[in-house]
Amino acid sequence: MDGVTLLLEGFASALTPEHLLWALIGVTIGTAVGVLPGIGPALTVALLLPITFRLEPSSALIMFAGIYYGGMYGGSTTSILLNTPGESASMISALEGNKMARAGRAAAALATAALGSFVAGTIGTVALTFLAPVVADFATGFGPPEYVALMAVAFVTVSALLGPNLLKGLASLLVGIAIGLIGIDAQTGQPRLTYGIDALLDGIDVVIVVVALFALSEAFGHLLTGTGHSTVEPLRGPAVLSRSDFRRSWPAWLRGTALGFPIGSLPAGGAEVPTFLSYAAEKRLTKHPEEFGRGAIEGVAGPEAANNAAAAGVLVPLLTIGLPTSATAAVILTAFQSYGLQPGPQLFSESGELVWTLVASLYVGNVMLLVLNLPLVRMWARLLTIPAYAIYAGVLVFATLGAYAAGGTTVDLLVLCGLGLLGLLMRTAGVPVAPAVVGLILGPLAEQQLRRALTLSEGDPSILVSSPITVFLWIVVVLALLIPLVLPVAKRRRRALTEVR
Amino acid sequence: MADELEPVAVDRHTVLATAVFGGLLLVGAVLVIVDAVRLPTTSAVVGPAAVPLPIGVALGAVGAGLLVDARRKLSTARSGAPWQPRAGLRVLALVAALVGFALLLPLLGYVVTATGLFVAAALLLGAPRDWRVVAWGWALAAVVFLVFDRLIGLTLPAGPWGF
Repeated sequence: MDGVTLLLEGFASALTPEHLLWALIGVTIGTAVGVLPGIGPALTVALLLPITFRLEPSSALIMFAGIYYGGMYGGSTTSILLNTPGESASMISALEGNKMARAGRAAAALATAALGSFVAGTIGTVALTFLAPVVADFATGFGPPEYVALMAVAFVTVSALLGPNLLKGLASLLVGIAIGLIGIDAQTGQPRLTYGIDALLDGIDVVIVVVALFALSEAFGHLLTGTGHSTVEPLRGPAVLSRSDFRRSWPAWLRGTALGFPIGSLPAGGAEVPTFLSYAAEKRLTKHPEEFGRGAIEGVAGPEAANNAAAAGVLVPLLTIGLPTSATAAVILTAFQSYGLQPGPQLFSESGELVWTLVASLYVGNVMLLVLNLPLVRMWARLLTIPAYAIYAGVLVFATLGAYAAGGTTVDLLVLCGLGLLGLLMRTAGVPVAPAVVGLILGPLAEQQLRRALTLSEGDPSILVSSPITVFLWIVVVLALLIPLVLPVAKRRRRALTEVR
Repeated sequence: MADELEPVAVDRHTVLATAVFGGLLLVGAVLVIVDAVRLPTTSAVVGPAAVPLPIGVALGAVGAGLLVDARRKLSTARSGAPWQPRAGLRVLALVAALVGFALLLPLLGYVVTATGLFVAAALLLGAPRDWRVVAWGWALAAVVFLVFDRLIGLTLPAGPWGF
């Protein structure tokens, strides 16, 4: 069967009243939580994952897709109105978007962000529809050595592209991998790093780690620095685009999408790279260079589109190879596993119906978000006026709830607290936490594949470079380690990061 | 213009935290290696210790690297944004609140303990001392309990009074 037929079947399943309701609930709470300052998409999906635990897989996936896209939309609203981007990907939209808001153009900035996200999300989802089955077909030929090489690429790129330098990225990655070692070794049944504590035998749940590193560290961080007095820019009038704004926005949306989807769909980390590239491209191509840095609409339109297209792109390696390349994707992988699904080439043949329902609900969610966001954006903006202490105290309540739902024991809550302190230390030290999340998820999978490969070859490591694909991928690994040292893009990105901070 | 990044002096807090984090990685390296060494050898071609050992070594190397990096930058570091008064105490108090929450949850039930956690966190974060904070916390905890325990069926500890 071809993709279109399968997708239509997916739509048939996604468009039932019950599933539409789940999608609506998903996008609504996804947006509501994503709007809260300091809460990025990864944390949004992690915090809301427990809600979907008790639903049947298809409803859970549909709601989850809504939460994912809703979290992304909500995040851009916050960066524009409050200048507190929840994730590095929305930092760039904060650059110009918040300036626009300060100049009284918040409505136009929000409208171009919402429409750009819609355009990019839709094109990205269409591209996903056609690309994913092809990649899945291709990936069925992969054996353990190819997986090991692919995961090495993901590890290195995630460490190199996130955070201020490679050393800190690697440190974060290793922390994640080390946490992933805790628990019973699946192949030999040996407990590792459990120190006789029963609750650790199953390992530490990903949700606990994500919630601790993102949410608790945020709350702890505000204890150190104070919650500050951030000003919410007022929003006058409905979010609409004037004709000239539209004329300036749409090419930026398309360029952002063209950068975002392909880069996002690479089996390498760094889904936010396209947002930086898009910003640089818009700055170079604009006819209004004097506006950049003071609130140029292209500077919001392009990066927002790139960000959303990349979010769709990230689903390609995630669904077809089982390879998460961002913290958000890592949480999505966990969600799949908790619904009893294992992403990978077999996912499309074994659970094709569910996958296409998910893809269809991504389209549905996108439309819902546009309908929901443009008229309701003032209501979401009102959420930003909740005092910071109430937001973070509420986040703590949800964080502990998520940890308890994922683990169900007192030990899980203590682990949550300990990892929260670790997250605080990492934040203060400028160590990015996203590589740790990717390492935690991918580490055990990489170990499994590595040991499988070496068992096949009876211990001979040359099997790891036994095919042209693996040789190519290992060359990519080496390049990814060397390039950040010389590439101007990386420097510019770091510069942008420093500016935002 | 793009190249004037490096000389920017780093925040002293960042440098010190990097050093502590590096030290923590060294401790982690020792724990991982010691644990890996004690694993019994199995009949499998690649035993359970094959991956932890190099990870432990890498943790040690990166930890040492961070320590060296922090040592190098410490002399030029400037004091950055000041912390709140008694910032350390506030963090400790929140840790105590979280530990208290974890220990009291099975005894007192979800709504009471979650309300306590909310109030403690809000006050530490600078909320006004006002009964409304307790009311907000109670309302949030009750809604969470109703939605998750009653509606979704995620069993939360009920405590002696059933909520």
